Amino acid sequence: MSQLDILLLILRVAFAAFVPMCFIAVCVWMERRGAGFIQDRSGPNRANIFGFRAGGLVQNLADAVKLITKEDVIPGHIKHKFYFVLAPVIVFSIALISFAAVPFADVLVISGKHYIMQGIPTDLGILWFLALAGFGVYGIILAGWSSHSKYGVLGGLRAAAQVISYEIPMGLAIISILVVYGTANLTEMAQFQGKLLFGFIPMWGVILQPLGAIIFIIAAFAETNRTPFDLAEGESELVAGFHVEYSAMKFGMFFMGEYVAMFTSSALIITLYFGGFQIPWFATETLVYHSRLVSFLLMVLLPLFALLFAGWISKNNRSHYPRENDPRIREANIYIKILWGLVIALELVLVIFLIFGSGGTAARILAAGLQIITFLVKVTFMCFVYVWVRWTLPRFRYDQLQKLGWQILLPLSLLNIFVTSAIVIALS
Amino acid sequence: MSGKVKLMERKGKDLYERLYLIEIFKGMAVTLGHFITNLLDNSKLYVRHYPEQQPEITARWRGRHRLTTHEDGTMKCVACFMCQTNCPAKCIMIEAGERIDGKTEKMPVKFDIDLLECIYCGFCVEACPMDAIRMDTGIFSVTGSERKPFVLGLEELLATKGAFTEEEYKKGGA
Repeated sequence: MSQLDILLLILRVAFAAFVPMCFIAVCVWMERRGAGFIQDRSGPNRANIFGFRAGGLVQNLADAVKLITKEDVIPGHIKHKFYFVLAPVIVFSIALISFAAVPFADVLVISGKHYIMQGIPTDLGILWFLALAGFGVYGIILAGWSSHSKYGVLGGLRAAAQVISYEIPMGLAIISILVVYGTANLTEMAQFQGKLLFGFIPMWGVILQPLGAIIFIIAAFAETNRTPFDLAEGESELVAGFHVEYSAMKFGMFFMGEYVAMFTSSALIITLYFGGFQIPWFATETLVYHSRLVSFLLMVLLPLFALLFAGWISKNNRSHYPRENDPRIREANIYIKILWGLVIALELVLVIFLIFGSGGTAARILAAGLQIITFLVKVTFMCFVYVWVRWTLPRFRYDQLQKLGWQILLPLSLLNIFVTSAIVIALS
Repeated sequence: MSGKVKLMERKGKDLYERLYLIEIFKGMAVTLGHFITNLLDNSKLYVRHYPEQQPEITARWRGRHRLTTHEDGTMKCVACFMCQTNCPAKCIMIEAGERIDGKTEKMPVKFDIDLLECIYCGFCVEACPMDAIRMDTGIFSVTGSERKPFVLGLEELLATKGAFTEEEYKKGGA
């Protein structure tokens, strides 16, 4: 192993481990501010450090401090303390590990060596996810059972029944997508989606498999226990369901696990159906071949976006009531200065790239960076869809949930397999 | 025994609504509209920026209590115990004594209201025959870090002035 190998190994593992963790903060923030804006409220906007509120992100720090310093109670009636403590760990770690097989950029070729850009460079791909996704719910069932209370047990039971009924349509939807791509490797799937249909439509999974995409997204919502499928939590009838007996950071683990699971399944939906790391119409080879043009375009577009963003900050980051010497305007000015500093730094990097980086390696690293950014932007959008659906739809009733799973999604996904297979065979 | 039966038409049974997704997308369009407008311009949110922007309190709003006085500064209360008897939360504690300012025979020497017990029902105000206790101070937020300051004594109750004019207060029929 050369030093480059080790460096890339560390970078990839760090990416797969820390990016989902960072996205907890982003998702919680998005959930709160999104819920606020959807309901015409403002969401958390007061917590600050020296007057810097970072649009409400500082609230997450306050929450973390609260959850960590709270008393960690294990109720006296609990007999199996080990399982009680193990349950949140399972939920969190399984959600984190399932991200390891999702590619966040195309295979990086540096001096003839191929580096698969995944946390664990395996070609198990979708099988890895399928194996682990079902396991995540074990944590919820275990939490419900070891809580030794009726609400907890009911929550756990609901989670178990729900996973059984939604894992099947999900698996069948994956079968039809496997038939289309002809591979179980997620990197190869994403590469497949870089091609163009009829020469101008990006060949994303959602265009080849619209029905499969809908079924998979619905099942993924159920799998992550998000509204409208969060019956396991059901605070109106089960108080808090499986985590009713948990407090402090043990509850925090469930909370973070939910958001990591949301990130992971967003990443998977993106990889399977929305082109993964692919930038539409710019496949990896195109990016590498036209790297100078691409970096020039970036240099032009970056200040434009920064200008829009700065305008948005100065318009919205101010007090909406009469106030002398508004500190929020001062805050906004500092943000705008930081923004322009970042833009100048990025422009410098791009200039250096334009002057010196004519070689293949630099172009490939630039392409990989762009693909990582694309991937993260797409995942953020998908996480927003999760938030958006949560604050739009009410919760399903239990029988409606089962009916949707067994009587509608299951036949539809079977039909989808037949139709897809017939078309694939007819075309080949 | 057959009563009048009116058959209601069941909604949501035709194919368009049973497809379900179309209606979901319509709902999501509504919420997205709210999200986008508020994201692009957050000045029109339906919120009051509370500690800085105080709500408007009307004259009939039941706030913290006060004891009223005659124009010469003597208290109106005659220690008749009507408010204490009427109080459902039993938060008023009066001790009567001899009147020294010559208005009537009795006056309270101690008049304590435990605000932690009080449920702000306003029965004391209704019961008072002398219009001596009122809840028109406009104070709606009573906070403290220990229990003691929540028990208001005679001096504090007399010291607080009403937040409204006499006409405004009477307009409500009080």
